[in-house]
Amino acid sequence: MAIKSKRYEEARLEASTNLELYWWVFMRISGVVLVFLLIGHMWMNAIIADLNKIDYDYVAKRLSQTTWKIYDLLILALGLLHGANGLRYVLDDWIRNPSRRFWTKVVLYGLIAFLFVLGSLSLFNHDFGVN
Amino acid sequence: MYRGREGQWAFYLHRLSGLGILVFLMLHVANISSAMWGPEVSNALMKFYHQPVFQLGLLLLIAGVLYHGFNGLRIILMDFTPWGVRYQRQLWYGVWVLFVLFYLPFLVKIGGGILGGGHGD
Repeated sequence: MAIKSKRYEEARLEASTNLELYWWVFMRISGVVLVFLLIGHMWMNAIIADLNKIDYDYVAKRLSQTTWKIYDLLILALGLLHGANGLRYVLDDWIRNPSRRFWTKVVLYGLIAFLFVLGSLSLFNHDFGVN
Repeated sequence: MYRGREGQWAFYLHRLSGLGILVFLMLHVANISSAMWGPEVSNALMKFYHQPVFQLGLLLLIAGVLYHGFNGLRIILMDFTPWGVRYQRQLWYGVWVLFVLFYLPFLVKIGGGILGGGHGD
């Protein structure tokens, strides 16, 4: 079960497994990192750039630079993991029927894994053709 | 803390915004990776997403991200400081102050874009 405690010491006592505690810690750390990454990401694309001008060339130019590839990969990986674990908390709370809960997780985790592969492929294995 | 008043609202909004962001992130990754199928496919899809209705959705999404992020910082303060839980309500109002500060530029820029036309070309 997801940890409900509000303090690290209590969370450690409440954690059913070490893995559960690690996820609890991961949510905090990835959360802090994501706050900065995402405000930067949104600021660049919505305030500095014009949203309506974003097209293939804009994305290609951004993704031809290694810095942005790594920046976006961090968002992709941390965001999907943070989101997947948050989703797990919600599903554990809301879906009472064990077999339905299991299959919902299988489908959603599968989708998330697929999107991670798809996203990393477009970041690193696709030639955007910018010199 | 999670029963009634601010703490409960904070919790529900955190979950709701979190789920919303996850759904968006999935669509966003799918949309960006369409670039692998070439500029035509990619540009057609992006043009579709430049419609005003999606810009409204984007404003909602940015609100969700900012709230979720700042409230997440509030949760961390509650978890790791001895005073965080005591002041969780004040912290929640602090979240909203930060939210307004950061949201205004987006609201002006994107909202202005929706009202001023110029989208979709």
